[in-house]
Amino acid sequence: MKESYVDLVNIRRMVFAEIARIAYNDVDLNELERSPYNIIPGEVAKYRENIFRERAIVEERLRLTMGLDARHLSEFARVTDGIEEVNVNEMMFIPPLVNVITFACEACPVRAFVVTDNCRKCLAHPCTNVCPVNAVSIGRDRAIIDKEKCIKCGKCKETCPYNAIVEYDRPCAQVCGVNAIESDELGRAKINEEKCVSCGRCITQCPFGAIADKSQIYQLVQALKSKEHMYAIIAPSFIGQFGVLANPMQIFEGIKQLGFKDVVEVSLGADITTLNEAKEFLEKVPKEHPFMGTSCCNSWTMMVQKMFPEQYKYISDSASPMVETAKYIKEKDPEAIITFIGPCISKKLEALRDDVKDYVHFVITFEELMGMFVAKNIELSEIVIDKDVQDASSLGRGYAVAGGVAEAVKKTAQRLDPSREIQIESASNLHDCVKLMRLAKAGKKDGYLLEGMACPNGCVAGPGTLASYNRVKKAIAEFKNQSAYSTPFENEKIREDLKR
Amino acid sequence: MKVKVCMGSNCTLLGAMDLLDQIEDLKKLTSEDDNYSDDFDIEVVKCLGFCKKSKDNVAPVVVIDDEILFNATGQIVMEKIMSKKKK
Repeated sequence: MKESYVDLVNIRRMVFAEIARIAYNDVDLNELERSPYNIIPGEVAKYRENIFRERAIVEERLRLTMGLDARHLSEFARVTDGIEEVNVNEMMFIPPLVNVITFACEACPVRAFVVTDNCRKCLAHPCTNVCPVNAVSIGRDRAIIDKEKCIKCGKCKETCPYNAIVEYDRPCAQVCGVNAIESDELGRAKINEEKCVSCGRCITQCPFGAIADKSQIYQLVQALKSKEHMYAIIAPSFIGQFGVLANPMQIFEGIKQLGFKDVVEVSLGADITTLNEAKEFLEKVPKEHPFMGTSCCNSWTMMVQKMFPEQYKYISDSASPMVETAKYIKEKDPEAIITFIGPCISKKLEALRDDVKDYVHFVITFEELMGMFVAKNIELSEIVIDKDVQDASSLGRGYAVAGGVAEAVKKTAQRLDPSREIQIESASNLHDCVKLMRLAKAGKKDGYLLEGMACPNGCVAGPGTLASYNRVKKAIAEFKNQSAYSTPFENEKIREDLKR
Repeated sequence: MKVKVCMGSNCTLLGAMDLLDQIEDLKKLTSEDDNYSDDFDIEVVKCLGFCKKSKDNVAPVVVIDDEILFNATGQIVMEKIMSKKKK
């Protein structure tokens, strides 16, 4: 997926590196107007029909990465308008998180069934015969689908012996599991904030690079330059993300070179979440709750809150691994300022929650972190370090791959109470998450532990990753084996009272 | 044939791992096909230092035998490998 979208991905990442460079080098923010020329040099358009539009879109990306809103094409505004407001050394968030860069959007048509050149106008014409609303007729050159009549059931597509009928959809809308993509008056994608759960799938899927999220790189770098007690916590899927030659310890050391005091694996918090959720499940299911949903994926819990408000109470009360890891650090250093680094953009919203904001102060993605390494000229694979990373158990490190959370909770719960049989089910994209919750709402998943993840195959395929799913999955399996502890019970960093 | 993929920070940022995925896939694809000559070796190397020497952005960098490819893309790298492999 990412390798085939290479130009778009690279523009996004060049913008991250540019903003990090500006922040580290104390560049006057008025120079932001020059940045599009650094990123898109020369006189000839490379990506779109003309270089003016290319640079204009980069300008919007620069603004979003600074944390500012995208501009309206109809109103005069400088690239730097509002820049003073975001020139701070603490997290700055102007909603919404996920934004359509309107003039990058090509206003793709909405979902429809379309007859292609493959049509032979065959004698059998099953397409017309199966249509429940008589919307298909045979035209002069090929079958014709009456868009007014069509109910988009897809029967004509299934029956055509020439595969001549295709289902067309806007890529952004197709991947959106909560139907949050609507259209504005010009037919361009518009995100319904009431429905959006900020999973970020549309950002990675749009073939025109027209959707982007806001970043905190600039403010984070300012904090790193001016504050002490800066800690980084890094999500379980970090293994293998920063080049195949960089090992976990080199990654940790590289992060410290960016200005952090220390780095901790979020898998440690995953171990704590596992213990909490296991105890919660044993206590509440089935006595108080018919089933329990995991709480670690913020887009999944947001989806349940928005679409299944009555079932929201069945989502675990246990804090996410991000929050548990931050709490662990806060216990040791009450002045700690904590940055979560992960594959996820939804965590940027989780960090704003009232019960989280005192623990997690910045959230950036792996891609954004890579931009910071480049801006600081850090070569991870050349760092000489001989230490081991041992914060978490093998089960905690497995949280990054779909199924890993439920497996960890199940194993832990069964160790606490071997008499219990625990059924688990996982969904790992938002479409499937919604389906799973419908079944649960209907009472078909009673007694279950339900693991919901918004990204396909889990966090390893999050929108902020750099490496491919297969590469990271393999690296994680290896890293799991290197853990000194097989379950959270052996993890010496966790307080003993949590293990009972 | 030897294919070196630079895994420096700048190259990694701009898709070196994706290039590596593609080259590895290509190796699998051609190893099963008798129409192609000998196998090729893939080597992942630390930063080759080209970015620091150049004013322009040259990442990602791939070296095929003695030929250095700047701003390497999947299609160019794979085509080069394939044309060199043809019997």
